[in-house]
Formats: sequence, C-alpha cells, structure tokens
Amino acid sequence: MSDESIYERLGATIIAGDKDKLLQAVEDALREGVTPSDIIEKGMSPGMKEVGERFTRYEIYLPEMMMAAEAWEYAMKFLEPKLLEAGTERKKVGRVVLGTVKGDVHSIGKTIVGAMLKMSGFEVFDLGVDVAASAFVTKAEEVEANIIAASALMSTTIPQQKSIIEHLEARGVRSKYCVLVGGGSTNQEWADSIGADGYGRTAGDATALALKAVSKG
Amino acid sequence: MISFATVVERAFTGPICTERDFELGIFVPNLRKVVEKYSIKYDPQHPVPADDDLADRVWAAAMEFLLETGVYCLDTERRILFTQEEIEGALETGPRGHVFGEGKDAKAMPRRFPEDKTPPWCSVGPTSSPVSSELYYVNLVKAHAENPLGDSITIPCLTHVDGQQIVGGSPLGVEGAIRAVLLTREGMRRAGRPGMPIVNGVTTATRAQEHIAAHHFGIRQTDALEIGTVHEMKIDFDSMNKVAYSLAAGSLIFAENGVILGGLAGGPAGVAVVIAAYNPVDLLLLRGAVQHPFPTHFDLGVTSTRDSIWARSLANQAVTRNSTLPVVNVGYSAAGPMTKMLLYEHSAWVIGSVVSGGSVEVGASARGTALDYTSPMDPLFGSEVAHAVAGMSRKEANGIVNALLEKYEDKLRDPPIGQKYQECYNVVSGKPNQEFIELYREVRREMVAQFGLPFKFTVLIPGGEFYS
Repeated sequence: MSDESIYERLGATIIAGDKDKLLQAVEDALREGVTPSDIIEKGMSPGMKEVGERFTRYEIYLPEMMMAAEAWEYAMKFLEPKLLEAGTERKKVGRVVLGTVKGDVHSIGKTIVGAMLKMSGFEVFDLGVDVAASAFVTKAEEVEANIIAASALMSTTIPQQKSIIEHLEARGVRSKYCVLVGGGSTNQEWADSIGADGYGRTAGDATALALKAVSKG
Repeated sequence: MISFATVVERAFTGPICTERDFELGIFVPNLRKVVEKYSIKYDPQHPVPADDDLADRVWAAAMEFLLETGVYCLDTERRILFTQEEIEGALETGPRGHVFGEGKDAKAMPRRFPEDKTPPWCSVGPTSSPVSSELYYVNLVKAHAENPLGDSITIPCLTHVDGQQIVGGSPLGVEGAIRAVLLTREGMRRAGRPGMPIVNGVTTATRAQEHIAAHHFGIRQTDALEIGTVHEMKIDFDSMNKVAYSLAAGSLIFAENGVILGGLAGGPAGVAVVIAAYNPVDLLLLRGAVQHPFPTHFDLGVTSTRDSIWARSLANQAVTRNSTLPVVNVGYSAAGPMTKMLLYEHSAWVIGSVVSGGSVEVGASARGTALDYTSPMDPLFGSEVAHAVAGMSRKEANGIVNALLEKYEDKLRDPPIGQKYQECYNVVSGKPNQEFIELYREVRREMVAQFGLPFKFTVLIPGGEFYS
C-alpha cells in the first residue's frame, strides 16, 4: 500500500468517526513502517481539518464532530506512548478548560465549541454543565491551562462568567489565563464589561480566539 | 395516561447509561436509523412542504425513535422508557381545548390542522428577551396587551432588581421572578386586560424554587408555566420539580422543546423527527397543555433559517395530523426592532407554522438576547400575518416563504440590529415613533402588493393610531 493511500485511509476513518476502523488503520500503517508522527500529521490531522471544514459548511453536524473527536482521542491513546518511545512527543496547541456556568444546564453550544477546539489541536478539559466558578479555576491550575472558556445561555446565569474572573483575581492568577465567554445571552459589550479576554458568538469565533490567544504566548 | 408518579419512578428505575452513551450510542444511531428507514429528506426548495405522506412518515419515525430511545434523566443517569401502549394512551387521552386566561380574556386553545381556517392562537410579547428597566418592562407589557390580536402574553426577562444584576439560583433570582410577575400583572391591568394569560411563567426564573416563589405572587391556574426538556431528549430534576409543583398547583404547562438544528439531532430531517417525538414526551413527562417547539440553528441562533422553517413546518404537520396536543410555535429572529428584515423573518416562520397547523408566539428579535432590543410592533405584525394566512394552502405559503427568504437569508449572519425599545419608542407615553409606524405601514403594503396577503383587521397600533 502506498503512503498516500495509507494517509487517505487514516483521514477517511477520522471523517467517518469510526474509532475501531481508525485504530485498525493506525496499526496497519505502523506495520507498513509509517512513523507515529507521520500517521498523525499526514493522515489523521488532515482528516480532522476536513471534519472542521465540513462542519463550518453545514455539511455535517455535532454528532459527526463528536465521533471524529472521539476516534481521534482513541487513536491518540494508542499512539502517544509510541511517540514518547520515539522521542517525538506531540506538542498540543494549548489546553482549554471548558464548561457551562453554575445554574445553567445548556450543553450543546459548549459541546460544539469543545469539538471544534479539539479539531484545532487543543487539549480540552470539559467540566460539563452547572460548573462552579471555583471549579474552572481549580481545574485550570491543575492542568496548567492556557484558556478558560465559559458558556452561559441565560441572562440570569451570565453573571457567573464574571464570577470566574473574580475567583481568578482572588487567587492572584488572573493574568495566567485567557478567559473566553460565549452563549446565547452574551455579547462583546458584556465580555468587555466583566473584563473577559474575548467573546465568541459562534464556535468558530471561539476557536479563532483561542488560536490567537495561544499564538501570542 | 400513566401518572406523573409512574414517570418519576422510572427516572429512578430505568436502564442506567452514561450521558455520552445515551447521546452517541443510543440517540444518534436510533435517529439516523429512522430517518433513513422512513426516507425523511430535506428539500430546500420547499421550506413549507405540502406532502401529507411525508408528514405521516415523520410521525411514524418519531414514534419508533421515542419507543427505542426514551428520555435521559441527567440526575439519575437512567433512561425513562415508555411502551407503545403508553404512548398511544397518552395521545388518546391527552388534554384538549384547555381554557387560558380569566374573565373576558379567557379563551380556549384551538387544535388546528394543516391549511386550517381556524384562527391561530397568537401569543405576543418580548418572548423572554432581556429588559433592563422596570419602566420599560411595564410599558412593554401594556403595549403588547393592547395588541387586539394577542391571546396571551409572553413576558420579558428582567435583568436587574434595585440596580443589582439578577443571578439565577440566588435570592436575587427569587425577587426578580416575583417582581416580573407583579410588573406583568400591572402592565396588563393598565391595558385593561387583567385576565390575559401569561404563558411563559416565569421567564426571569432559572430554578424551580424561583418559579414556585413567583407563582405565589400572581401566576394563576389559567396561566402556564413554561417548562422545557434539555437538548436533546433529556430532562433534569429541576424541570421535573417544576412539573410536580404545577400539577399540585393546578396550573397549565407550556411544554418547551428547543431542538438545536446542527446539534445532536443533526440536520433538518433529524430535527423534524425529534420535534415530533417530543409530542408524547410533552404529554407524559412535562404534562403539557401545549407543545411549544422552536428549532434553533446552532450557528445563527435563530428559527428563521430555511432549514429551520422546513423542519418546523414538517414537524407541525406530522404532529397536528396525529396528536390532539395543540402546537404553539415560538420564533427567534436575527434582525432587531424597526427593521424591515425583522418583519420579513417573523412573517416567514409565522406563515410556515400557521399553514402547517400551528399557532404562534411572536416573538423575539435580535435573537432574543440583546438587552432592550425588543418592541411591541413586531409581534403585532406577526399576529396580523398569522391571521391573514389561516386557511391558506401550503403550496401558496411555500411560494411566499421562498420569496421572503430571498429578502433576508443572506443577511442572517450579520443582521441589522435596529433600535432599542427606548430608541424606537417614547418610553414615557409608551408610543412608537413616527418613523417606526411608517416602516410598519410600508412593509404591510408590500405584503399586500407582492403576495396578496389578505390582512383581516383594522388594527390599532399601540399608542392610538388606527389604519387599515
């Protein structure tokens, strides 16, 4: 099998979101002598990029995104020890602590953002919904995150985004993190008023802001 | 119909599964299977489909999907499952013709069918849009209550009490919810419609305790608490607590299903099936007197997109042909007040909904999230359109909706924000400014000239000006 067809197969199984077939493709590629690094960079990453682009063109939706991201993570658990053995540990683009704020159980928007961040190479720690302000901060400190991303849908729950910033300030670690806010009832004016570092109306906006934040260092 | 207590018991005894396994292992494959099996395919040229067989296939797909999937309880991590007999029993014995409101404002909620001449129920109001001031709040409610076509009111969301921002789940949330009800009652009293029903009680409330507190300060048995499922096919105890309280208090329930287009339900075909599947859930679990769906586009945050209108219209047809539970559609449009685009958007989704058997709640502007970007004129226009198209064929409606979509769909990402309430209205007198009245007249004339829309009434614009 040519390298090109190996990479195509890896990409296609990512796009299909089939984690078992992806793992099989990864194992076959290793047997053919392809390095773990090339499997990721030339096979799986282009597949992930294609998934993200199809999503922005409304050709696929959240389930396909989630399944592709799961397949990626499944394969990476297998590949990461091999990268370490080869002394080529893959550098993450950045680490994001993500969640829906306390009192708010809306998850879809947050989940879409998480999937798009993973597509872009971020390591995402999704804390779920109804997350206390302190939990965002504690997790960010624990995993040495670059970014805290907080979603809130309702006008009565957006104050919890401000609370996260206040908790960061109280612990004296505000400057360590880029804080991004989003969700139905938020806007740029709100983000500015609470001292957030960015506002994303869409998942695409949030990803672009996150990439910009890590590129600044 | 099985009791609510039985449903609660199943939340504690149903099959255990993780949320992830419910989403990707059960919900998504079950939905994909029925969409393919019943050949449900999105047709962008027909945002208002007119295919009864397709509508009935959506219903069949939805019932099969619900039977195999159930509803996921987030608090117990178990599936609440229903048998076919239970689903059919709920549909056979579900509520019919509930009366909302009191005194001269009392009215029975109609069951409508596709292309039905029965006038649709029109709920008017800011649809939970955030409002910054109590003065604006009362004046907005008063103006909406003066809408002669308004059958019920959907109240705004108060964002502050006594200068403090309301935080859901806190004492400020309790006070905000109570104050919202008291202000609404006062606004309706000033309009001379004290018996007008509130159907989104209580929008400022986040948690069950806030709903319950507000209920004791002016929500009546003929009002409705708005209680929703969680995206998608999920429920939590907070919502179930609201149901338990409403049943004990004897209040009506608007069962809300905000399906996300592009979310777990996928594209428009899946969304149509999920909306239809919610119908028995709204009876069995939310104990609703009305199904209240709004398929919202995941990226644009509105219900006025072509694919959203298709999914909603088709789901309405599926539901209204097969269930007695009335449907009241709510809409979120992208443009803000005092823009032509907002009136086009509201008209498009209202027409699709009404000719497909639904009633309407008009409606939120500026995605329903921009502070103070709301006005009483837009729901007035939407309710005029709703009455004008009752009895219209779906085929004719499809042509109009296509033409309306051409006017605005390329602007949905960056819509005109328009003007805030305090900019397009005199907040002391509660009257719209002349420019707004002229814009309203211009679009109304356009709808008559371009589409032959048979407006049926001589309408009083809030503020006292008559026209026909």
